[in-house]
Amino acid sequence: MTQASGEEKLDRAISYILIVGVIASVLTETAGIISYYFTQGNLSITFQPGDSLKGVDFFNYRGQTIQSLLLGGWTPLHIMGLGIVLLMITPYLRVVASVFYFSVAKNLKYLAITVFVLVVLTASLIIH
Amino acid sequence: MIDMITVLLISILAGFMGALTGLGGGSIMIPILVAFGVPVKYAIAASMVTIIATSSGSAASYVKERITNVKAAFYLEMFTITGAIIGATITSFIAPKLLYFFFAAFLLTSFYGLSGHLKEDFPKQFKQDKFSRWLELRGSYYDQAAGKQVDYEMTNARLGGPGMIVAGLAAGMLGIGAGAFKVSIHELILKMPSKVSSTTSNFIIGITALAGASVYFSTGLLFIGLAAPMAVGTTVGAVAGGRVLNRLPSRFVRYLFLVIVCGLIIQMLYKGVTSP
Repeated sequence: MTQASGEEKLDRAISYILIVGVIASVLTETAGIISYYFTQGNLSITFQPGDSLKGVDFFNYRGQTIQSLLLGGWTPLHIMGLGIVLLMITPYLRVVASVFYFSVAKNLKYLAITVFVLVVLTASLIIH
Repeated sequence: MIDMITVLLISILAGFMGALTGLGGGSIMIPILVAFGVPVKYAIAASMVTIIATSSGSAASYVKERITNVKAAFYLEMFTITGAIIGATITSFIAPKLLYFFFAAFLLTSFYGLSGHLKEDFPKQFKQDKFSRWLELRGSYYDQAAGKQVDYEMTNARLGGPGMIVAGLAAGMLGIGAGAFKVSIHELILKMPSKVSSTTSNFIIGITALAGASVYFSTGLLFIGLAAPMAVGTTVGAVAGGRVLNRLPSRFVRYLFLVIVCGLIIQMLYKGVTSP
């Protein structure tokens, strides 16, 4: 495998991750906005404490959101929240994909660099 | 108070401009939302999500066209993400008034630096330094506007890295993508071609914004009703912007960048003067 074809594969992989993540996110958020309109009868934005995304940390919130969607008892805001979470996962997966690529390509320099970014990013999502 | 449809329409425009200039759209959205009566902290928090949408949305069309330099992006991201975390911590202690002036001053520098290079589409020939060569900072892309394959190398990586700490610091402090800082460092120090610069900036901005957005999870400032239409709007705008970018002459992209940077300087100075 030449360097160029490997890089092309990385580009394509990242591109697919972004496209799938962004489309899923936009569709989910749009569905949330539409269902908000049908349940509330308007599209006004509210700033009550329960209307914000909140969790112990990002991964915890993601789990909670998916759980509430699976178990029922969800609101249109939950659907929109899931869309936002999907969007936030895209740059994270992009870093994970790059770590994977540079490890397969045995490029230690860039494996170290991407792992550093992944560790700092994960820490910022967990530690509060 | 503003409703979701209005937020959606403004976001489409901000996402489009953000993708063309590499600015990320967040800094365009915040003052507009504040003008509509949205509390500034909520606007900043939702803007973080917007920045991710702009970054991922426009990168999805660029990366396919192979303009973004992934290696340069990750080398620079090490510094940006570190700066963003330090910046977010500093913000807890420093008065916002000082931050606005610091920001305006730095933007002013980038404006003067770039305006001197307006006639150049691609950097002049230079000798790549050893460290940049060791980092494999080179690339090649097909420029549709110029109708040719462009091979390029970068230089001054040793200086560009720490420069990005400052960019990350500003992003963390003010809750924006700080694309203007990044694009300036890419072009003036690393000597990236204009288009590689804005696409690579978009790549970096998304990852940095994610680190910033995570802070708002603990503070509960990320309001779903505001962030969701903003994310949808900016994504649509950013995808459209990403598609248009490679068909525009580099000079146009650069002029657009200058006009928007100019607007941001005025915005920051105004905020600095009027904030208590």
